[in-house]
Amino acid sequence: MIASVLRRFRRWLPASAIVIALSGCATNAPQDTWKPKGPNAAKIDNLQKPIFAVAGIIGVIVFAAVIYCVIKFRDRGQPIPHQSHGNPALEITLTIIPALILTVVGVFTVRTVFDLAKTNDTEMIINVTGQQWWWEYDYPVQAQFGITQPIVTSGQLVFPAGTKVLLRATSRDVIHSFWIPALNGKRDVVPGRVQTNRIEADLPGIYAGQCTEFCGLSHANMRMEAVALSKEDFAKWVANQQSAYVAPADGTLAKEGESVFLSQCVRCHQVNGLTRADGSPAIAAADENVWSGVAPNLTHLMSRNTFAGAMFDLAKPACRDEVWESDPATFGGKYLQGVTEDCLNQSALRAWLRNAPAVKPMYTNPAQLTKTGGKTRGMPFLGLSESDIEKLVAYLLTRS
Amino acid sequence: MAIIERSTPQVALPLVEVPVTASSTFGVLKRPVAATGWKSWLFTVDHKKIGIMYGAAAMFFFVLGGIEALLIRLQLAAPNGKVLNADVYNQMFTMHATTMVFLFVMPMAAAFANYFIPLQIGARDVAFPRLNAFGLWALISGGIFLNLAWFLGGAADGGWFMYAPNSGPVFSPTHGIDFWALGLQITGIASLAGAINLIVTLLNMRAPGMSLMRLPIFSWMALVVQFLLLFAVPVITVALFLLTFQRNFGATFFDVSAGADPLLWQHLFWIFGHPEVYILVLPSFGIVSEVLPVFSRKPLFGYPFVVFSGAAIGFVGWGVWAHHMFASGLGPVSVAVFSMTTMLIAVPTGVKIVNWTLTLWGGKLWFTTAMKFSIALIVLFTIGGLSGVTHAVAPADTQQTDTYYIVAHLHYVLFGGAVLGLFSGFYYWWPKVFGKMLSERIGTWNFWLMVIGMNLTFGPMHILGLQGQPRRMYIWTEARAGEGFFNLGFWNLVSSIGAFVIASGVLLFLINVVRTARSGIPAPLDPWDSRSLEWMTTNPPKEHNFDVIPTVHHLDEFFHRKYKEGDNGEMVKIKTAEEILTEQEQAADKHIHMPSPSYWPLVLALGLPITAYGVIYSIPIAVFGGFVILFAAFGLGLEPATAKDTDFDPPTDTDATSGEVVPVD
Repeated sequence: MIASVLRRFRRWLPASAIVIALSGCATNAPQDTWKPKGPNAAKIDNLQKPIFAVAGIIGVIVFAAVIYCVIKFRDRGQPIPHQSHGNPALEITLTIIPALILTVVGVFTVRTVFDLAKTNDTEMIINVTGQQWWWEYDYPVQAQFGITQPIVTSGQLVFPAGTKVLLRATSRDVIHSFWIPALNGKRDVVPGRVQTNRIEADLPGIYAGQCTEFCGLSHANMRMEAVALSKEDFAKWVANQQSAYVAPADGTLAKEGESVFLSQCVRCHQVNGLTRADGSPAIAAADENVWSGVAPNLTHLMSRNTFAGAMFDLAKPACRDEVWESDPATFGGKYLQGVTEDCLNQSALRAWLRNAPAVKPMYTNPAQLTKTGGKTRGMPFLGLSESDIEKLVAYLLTRS
Repeated sequence: MAIIERSTPQVALPLVEVPVTASSTFGVLKRPVAATGWKSWLFTVDHKKIGIMYGAAAMFFFVLGGIEALLIRLQLAAPNGKVLNADVYNQMFTMHATTMVFLFVMPMAAAFANYFIPLQIGARDVAFPRLNAFGLWALISGGIFLNLAWFLGGAADGGWFMYAPNSGPVFSPTHGIDFWALGLQITGIASLAGAINLIVTLLNMRAPGMSLMRLPIFSWMALVVQFLLLFAVPVITVALFLLTFQRNFGATFFDVSAGADPLLWQHLFWIFGHPEVYILVLPSFGIVSEVLPVFSRKPLFGYPFVVFSGAAIGFVGWGVWAHHMFASGLGPVSVAVFSMTTMLIAVPTGVKIVNWTLTLWGGKLWFTTAMKFSIALIVLFTIGGLSGVTHAVAPADTQQTDTYYIVAHLHYVLFGGAVLGLFSGFYYWWPKVFGKMLSERIGTWNFWLMVIGMNLTFGPMHILGLQGQPRRMYIWTEARAGEGFFNLGFWNLVSSIGAFVIASGVLLFLINVVRTARSGIPAPLDPWDSRSLEWMTTNPPKEHNFDVIPTVHHLDEFFHRKYKEGDNGEMVKIKTAEEILTEQEQAADKHIHMPSPSYWPLVLALGLPITAYGVIYSIPIAVFGGFVILFAAFGLGLEPATAKDTDFDPPTDTDATSGEVVPVD
């Protein structure tokens, strides 16, 4: 009985090995390079799949040839073989065949390279700036999308689906690399250069990415998310981003939070429209405190559901999953709700405010700052009291 | 030792006054002449002793780099690992790569090249024996210097590619990268010294009749590698100088605010870095090309094709560097060109795989451990080569680069290629070098553990990378790991388990070495029925390698001295190895000059880390180190090749003018 099962199993062994190999991959891996969600990534995918197939076949042939030799020509006491030094005709044939295969591969490769480099039908421009260890996205004025004043955001790159978006990318410190696998391949962002890369999403949704050029201490924590909205939803998002500053009502905890923000956070973080008690605009002076010169703009923090270089979720897991797992039709509505008080991931945000360098490795220890003239790389420990944190959270919740 | 087979003085000689000569080290110390004991190793200029020490040093660094790898895999076995913090992890992967590339594979290849090139070409030593010793000690001092940083504030943390501006003083404020840049500078000097020495040796010191097309294939591949080193090392030297001046003396070569372009570093690094890949892998190709014919009992299939494909790789290898930079924004024209050249280099590489397979074809295969490692190399390197083709396709590479797919690729090339080749070489040549056989039983276990372990470790990395896990991240998060049983967490765990399987294989090798040293079986003269000249002498070889310099008539000279084709085309054994050796001994040369040991290579090499240390901490120390180097250089230059009689204790009684003795039979 057992023997027959084993025998049957043995017969199915090769088949089951193939099944295991094919099912050996994760399902729904957010950064899967073989699941294109836009035309640029699809072009790459259409190129790479046949090449993987050809490579696989050649691999199997070599493997089979070696195994055949190992079995067939093992020492069974046969005489020492004829001392043949080779066969030039065979050699030349076996050199030309791979050369021809590679030529064909090369032709398709070069075509795709130039195809992907095309930018002359761009419909929208977004500037991408990397720094240690987060991404800033700013939108130049583009009236056709309702963008009448520059929008500055971070963490999530929001853009309209079905639109050819040109990213103009640079860096404020070291080299980073911008990569949303579902939309396109990587493009390094190099300080002193502006490099371009095109993205386009077929459908609304959220697409994960990760900085892929080693950029120092917290490289692993430098993530990003690209959010594609329908054109109508994108217009709503733009309108919200451009809405005027609404100060919290007097006497609320949030109002007290505003003054904590003015005394502590505005040193680096900009909130558009925020004014000091004397009515003067509060301008962030990140350049005096942070080596890269900028800190994330927090004007509409609650409109994005991630923070600290997309390292932490601003929304609780259940709320986050609801956004991530919604279908393209309902995605926009859910995303535009932003992070409400019920959904706010209080523990993560408070831990960050309490002691940021403790939850994300950064250069903020004064002993490490001699070469930067005291400027930090990342958010320092601020020594906020618990009540200040309480107030700040209340204030930040109003930044929707 | 000055002269081979120096007679032990039968009569006590009256001590004569010792004249002060350059030979006795500025009149202070007598020149070292010991042929046994630790001094005979420390001051040796014998290429065989130097080769063994290269090997021992490389093995030490292999274990060190392996421990670093195990720590990395421990950290990554589960999400949000807590074994290492971000800072230490970044140092760990930087030093793992640096150690494995510069302090293991390169010196181990140098060990084989040093030991076997003179033996394979029928020479008695290399062209410049003291330069050879200097290369060894420079490598060791550079390796120690590199790792000193661990104890002085932290090792380099910028990745082995050390991209600017992240490698600048602002972004890496510890001294780790200073130690890295200067340490590599020192090992680079070692590589250059070795390259010049071996090129001269290979071109000028081949035995009579050994034309280049009769040169054993390992020596050929080593020759290509030495030329690659000769031209590649100066490029990294320049880059490292720029980096050192940027970090230590306020230069702004990679400072964007001063108008620099950080991509300059990338071009310099990869113009060195890509030939470096072939520097790492070609020696193993050479070893495999020796081992497969021996254990297939037939010559290497298409020897000229293997030679020329090796040389072609050596040339085309210079034209592919920017394929490391497909995502860096070179523009479509450059990307297309480098994509095509990269595919071009796959052709000569494929030629090698075809020739190895056809060497097996029709052979009489003997599956020793050495043979198993070589056969595994064919298959596993092919996997690495084919994944290489998938990222020669530049658009696909923009998805793959800086993910674990590349880690998988490079380890199939460097572990499946370079390391398995080196292990094949260990098992094949161990009896030659140490006169004892490594245990084949332990060897088989060692082989299977390493091969299964490497596939468990690096195989899943293909999936990890293609499913989007980037490299060089001290943690990975479940949020990006996907779902299902085979999610990225599963494969990360498998990979970590595999790393320990490899480690157990390496441990078995070390156990095998210790057991063999203690109680191994003495090796027969020609245990594998080999084909090339290095087997035409004793195990281990005599200090002067050959009693008589052989005259070469064939590729595979030794085989053709043992076998002749019979009337019906069969190979008939006409002589045993012992008979051939006896013939040699009977015809032994009467006068054999061998260079004497020397202090100076060691002193010269020790000056280098002193200078480097001074560059980092205090210029006066650097100046002192400079004086040590200058002093030692003069010492080396003024020293005669062979020691005076008076350096011996008791002094020898040789003919004072020629420094020769007639060997006592």
